[in-house]
Amino acid sequence: MNPIKNMLVMVELESRRIRHDRTEIYTRAVQPVLWLVIFGPVMGALRAIPTGGIAYTDFITPGVLVQSMSFVSIFFGLTMVWERESGILKKLLVTPAPRYSIVVGRSMSSGVRSVFQALIIIPVALLIGVRIVPNPLYFIGVLAVLFVSSGGFAATSILIASLMKSRERFMGIGQAIIMPLFFASNALYPIEMMPPILKALSSVNPMTYIVDAVRSLLITGDLAQLPLDLAAIAIFDVAMFIIASASFKRIIE
Amino acid sequence: MEGLRLSLGGAAGGAHLKNISCHAFSTLMEFAVDARGIVKVYEKTSRALDGVDLQVRPGKVFALLGPNGSGKTTLMRILTTQLPPTEGHADVMGHDTVRESGAIRGLVGYVPQEMSVWTDLSGYENMLIYAKIYGIPSEARRRLIDDSLEGIGLSDAKDRLVRSYSGGMIRRLEIATALLISPKILFLDEPTIGLDPVARKAVWDKLTSFKKDFGTTVFFNTHYMDEADLYADEIGIISRGRIITTGTVAELKRSVGGEVLVLETESNGVDAATLEMVRGVASVRDVALGESELAVIADDAETALPGVMRILGNSGAMVRKVSMSAPTLDDVFLKYAGTRLESGGRLSDVSRVRKTIRRGG
Repeated sequence: MNPIKNMLVMVELESRRIRHDRTEIYTRAVQPVLWLVIFGPVMGALRAIPTGGIAYTDFITPGVLVQSMSFVSIFFGLTMVWERESGILKKLLVTPAPRYSIVVGRSMSSGVRSVFQALIIIPVALLIGVRIVPNPLYFIGVLAVLFVSSGGFAATSILIASLMKSRERFMGIGQAIIMPLFFASNALYPIEMMPPILKALSSVNPMTYIVDAVRSLLITGDLAQLPLDLAAIAIFDVAMFIIASASFKRIIE
Repeated sequence: MEGLRLSLGGAAGGAHLKNISCHAFSTLMEFAVDARGIVKVYEKTSRALDGVDLQVRPGKVFALLGPNGSGKTTLMRILTTQLPPTEGHADVMGHDTVRESGAIRGLVGYVPQEMSVWTDLSGYENMLIYAKIYGIPSEARRRLIDDSLEGIGLSDAKDRLVRSYSGGMIRRLEIATALLISPKILFLDEPTIGLDPVARKAVWDKLTSFKKDFGTTVFFNTHYMDEADLYADEIGIISRGRIITTGTVAELKRSVGGEVLVLETESNGVDAATLEMVRGVASVRDVALGESELAVIADDAETALPGVMRILGNSGAMVRKVSMSAPTLDDVFLKYAGTRLESGGRLSDVSRVRKTIRRGG
């Protein structure tokens, strides 16, 4: 079976699930909205962070979007754990779909949730006065970047799920991964402000590149770094797909 | 003349060759499932399967009967290509489960023990997603799904979320999904676990009619003896990772030692000569005299009864009551595995039912 087609089926599956039940999308939107509505204006009022002439809330909007995307995707791996405990994964393994396409397909389908999430957060950002680049192509680009990066994080979570054997352990690990990545990125402050060690860390942090891509498309409109960002995202995705597929057999047993 | 004969010979030779290849194919497919020396060790220590040899002929309904933890599920997961065996090898429909797993996956329908549908989708959507994964062309899809849903009696519920289904409806939906591709062989892991008797019967009615229409081989795991007894052509008994015995239900029961007739008589009404005559009745194997009862062990108690009654009547012994007991699969299990199957099953059954409910809810 064609893996692309399989991926599309998984995306369709996720869209249908969201259509029936959107509660999770709304509840998960609470946290990012708080970052935008409270943290942004309060920190911005201090004028302590040099953002290159952008309002602080505008500066962190991409970071908040990416953080929410990564939470959605990481916890998507939890679905995989649930599917292992139920019979769904077993059943999928006995379909003609190749195993790696199950991993890649399930990972990419988390992008559906991430994009829906972004479509809730962005209007809130607009409401509180964040100015975005008024170009529909750029906007589509933002959603595409979020969708594609989501796959990498979801694959990461499948990898974690294959190492963890229980849901409870998994919850803790999910938090423990996202928050450090978030703080070691340019989501809340420019990289130039960071101490050297953090600077080095942030340069190998996929979140830095994703935030940068979203920021250039959504806020600044300056696409000079975009090719580099996209290349980094592609490497992150492919690497995680390969590692997750390789460790997938641990989930099965 | 010579040339003609040669060419005739050639044609005959060709036909012969064709026969051979046909024959080769049929020997290849002599068994729908052919497992040899399967060993499965989990995490280097726990030996789930300990040298399983098992052959199932095509077109049969085969039940693998054993208590929980005996290795049934592991064996099924190996046969359905989910897990590689640690040792040994298995062919399913003539394909090796490791080297030709892709070919097998296109031929098998599989219903795992746990719930395998998405509860936050409708019944129809579940079928649709699996139909797409199986690559059923879009023109055929809608009708095929509608027909399958009709066939299992879920047409009215097809647009409801599966979350609102009963356990029996979920199982039927799962079976319909497994049947979408008209599989050559159907693997069912505890197909009716946690279902009430009515739902169990409904599930088996659908399976039986499908089997009749398509001649599909059915391989199911169960720890319900009555289920194996009622629906299986052949039974394999598994205990602690080994297949202990296989055969038809009748063969297995016979191997336990036949059926038992117990005749309550007036005390001392039966003398030694009568006893010898009873022993001579067709199909009677053994006779034992108690204080006020006579036990007759026979291959077929129903056939033996009239003869036994006549002899006792002639000898003047008064028979007050006759009871007949056939050996159950539990007796079979006891004989081969050294433990009872029934007692072990019940408690874990309850917890499993609870699990199913929790997952469904």
